[in-house]
Amino acid sequence: MAQAKKAKAAKPADKVDYEGNPLPDLPDLSWMGNTFQWGTKALPERYGGGLTLAALNIGIYGDIPEHIPHRNRLPRGAVPVISAGNIGGYYIQDKYEQWADSSPYLYEEGISRRWSTATDIPWETGRGLSDDVEVAIAQVATELSNWGSVESEVVSAWLQNLSPGYHEVKYYLSTAVYDSARIEEGYRKRALLNGAGMMLESPGRMNRACLESYGSWSNTVLFMWILRGSLMQAIVRYLSVYGPTEADRELAFRILPDIMRKSAYACDHIRFAISKKPELITTFNAGLTVAEFAQLSDFNDPVLWEALAIIFGDGVENMDEGMKIVLELQQHFLETYISKCSQANLGREAQIKSGAWAGILMGVPMTGHATPDEMRAQVAAIMQKNSGKK
Amino acid sequence: MATKSKANTAAPNTFEQLLDYGKNNGYKLDWLQQRETFGDELDAPSNGGGLLLQDVDSGPFAEVPEWTNNVTGRPRGALTRPSAARIGKYGIRTKADVWLKNGAQLYEEAVQRQWSSATDIPWNELEELPDEIEQAECQLATFLTEVEFVAGDVPGRWISETSPDYYEPRMFLISQIMDEARHADVFRKRALANGGGLLQQNSSAALAGASIDSARDFTEMSARLHISGEGLVLSIFRMGERMAYNNAEKAIYRLAASDESRHVAFGVMHLQYVSQTDPERTEEIHSYLDEIELGLVAGTGGQNPAVRGTPSNAAIMTLLGGGTDEASLREGEQIAGAVRQRQVKEYIQRIKVAGFGDRFTNGRAAAGLTEYISA
Repeated sequence: MAQAKKAKAAKPADKVDYEGNPLPDLPDLSWMGNTFQWGTKALPERYGGGLTLAALNIGIYGDIPEHIPHRNRLPRGAVPVISAGNIGGYYIQDKYEQWADSSPYLYEEGISRRWSTATDIPWETGRGLSDDVEVAIAQVATELSNWGSVESEVVSAWLQNLSPGYHEVKYYLSTAVYDSARIEEGYRKRALLNGAGMMLESPGRMNRACLESYGSWSNTVLFMWILRGSLMQAIVRYLSVYGPTEADRELAFRILPDIMRKSAYACDHIRFAISKKPELITTFNAGLTVAEFAQLSDFNDPVLWEALAIIFGDGVENMDEGMKIVLELQQHFLETYISKCSQANLGREAQIKSGAWAGILMGVPMTGHATPDEMRAQVAAIMQKNSGKK
Repeated sequence: MATKSKANTAAPNTFEQLLDYGKNNGYKLDWLQQRETFGDELDAPSNGGGLLLQDVDSGPFAEVPEWTNNVTGRPRGALTRPSAARIGKYGIRTKADVWLKNGAQLYEEAVQRQWSSATDIPWNELEELPDEIEQAECQLATFLTEVEFVAGDVPGRWISETSPDYYEPRMFLISQIMDEARHADVFRKRALANGGGLLQQNSSAALAGASIDSARDFTEMSARLHISGEGLVLSIFRMGERMAYNNAEKAIYRLAASDESRHVAFGVMHLQYVSQTDPERTEEIHSYLDEIELGLVAGTGGQNPAVRGTPSNAAIMTLLGGGTDEASLREGEQIAGAVRQRQVKEYIQRIKVAGFGDRFTNGRAAAGLTEYISA
């Protein structure tokens, strides 16, 4: 009786395989032993760090090739089968196009620092602001939420093109998309906390530059995480200090490390790409020149700067004082940007200090309130004053 | 979440005076305005659950349009700029194409349930296993590492196709990308942590998820990925207690199943929304389900490791039976048959919940499904 039941239970499964071929009575075990390396024993960290992704890179599993020939989802180090074929996408097949040595560490770091905007922000402290400051923080929150949304769109769209053979990068980027989503929703919550709501959308030229950087993943990284990322880092860093409420400061403080990981990946990746293909310096610099124009264009829109000036000055009446901090922020952005470019082996200092950005470094904020001629006049006055001092 | 109105601390003329003051001092401040919800404070979360995404939107921010012309990527409810470029390549601009009722809840749930493959798995409890068992573990882990790339990369494509007016499903899909990276990672770790190694890749493009890749419509993709593919894998993860040989493996399957159940829930709830709001698509959806059921019955597409004839299936039989001798394999085969029964039963239940259960009573469903259930 039991045997009959057993035969019946197996009936639908034991006739043919998924292609309709007859199957043997017992399963084919010829795959056993089909491995490039057996006996692998990756070990957890000794002092509580757990079993990390980097720890797996031993023996052949740590051989990270310069090129992945397969356009499918072959896990690196697994035995490929010819019939797997190509499945579309995954055309970013070279290491220099995506790699960063820090990827596995950033991935684990991203996971170990998991947090929630729902429960880790003291939202109850985000009350009691004057109406103008409340609207201003909602405006800044709208802008940052917008940027987070664009980031997550851009990175998630690239995943289908990045070869799984460099899984460390793909895993890290998965955490990065998640971090970007948290910026989007964290600042949405902030904007809506007291009813001010989502305010004016971003001018969007830098968003557009990020979205249109589909020529190469490296260009995307440059535009989004080195150029725009430096600005986002500066704004969030200043909000972590000058945020008008504890909730604002904590939100910014929590987001800052997430941004820093993206920055670390970006610098590491660009440096690696240049180490493999020095000629990319020219390409990258040309791309950044274009992206900087987009960023400049956004700088000439006053909305974000006015909102920040109201926050930093604690009200419209003190915007002039707030604008002094905005200038500091803009200078901090440029210094950070120059520093990141240097770290990535891209020298941008000369271009920044001699171009349209130079006025900021000399003490003239770029906020959309002055015409280019007026700004040039202000710069000239500062230069004259400085030469007089000498 | 209920909101309470706060009397504006500054009278309108005061706010306007501030604006005038700013403008007189050279600032533009055109953007500085109080929207209709201004002063509606969200209740401070007092129950420990925090400020949840599903509770924050109100007024115009909560209005999810049936169709959207938001192609500038602005956050839902934000004020528009006439100069903003049309940067969004959003193929999904219709609510029913992507919506579900509890996308925000599933996202918040995902955020709360994040875990670490490095520290939340008791790796030190892995034990040396008989070689055939270790090989089976490693073959299954190789398979799962590979297919988890499908479930991460494919949703990624659709996020950028979806208007941010439907940000809740986008947020959930982002959390799924995170989950799937962790799954691919944890199974790679399992393969390389206990004296084994990776074994062979799946043997066909279809096995690697190409049919999910090729879907040209979000609902089609979601049915294939969330309901079929992930549903099948979820049934296997739930058998983890039977397949696991130590606490580390049990923890892997348990935690992965928790994530996977959210992904399946997304698919079911989205399909349910389609069935309730877009009846014109009913026949079309049934045709997708016809294809899915072919895979369930005959294993077409080969995404199901519980189907005979693949290394991953042989690995499961070895693990469930406890070895590769004939008696063990036959026992493993019988248990694997039970897994398939469970897969089919769970699939049928999900489709019923989604609102397409009539196919199981009107003769539309694949005949082989009932064969499995009655076997």
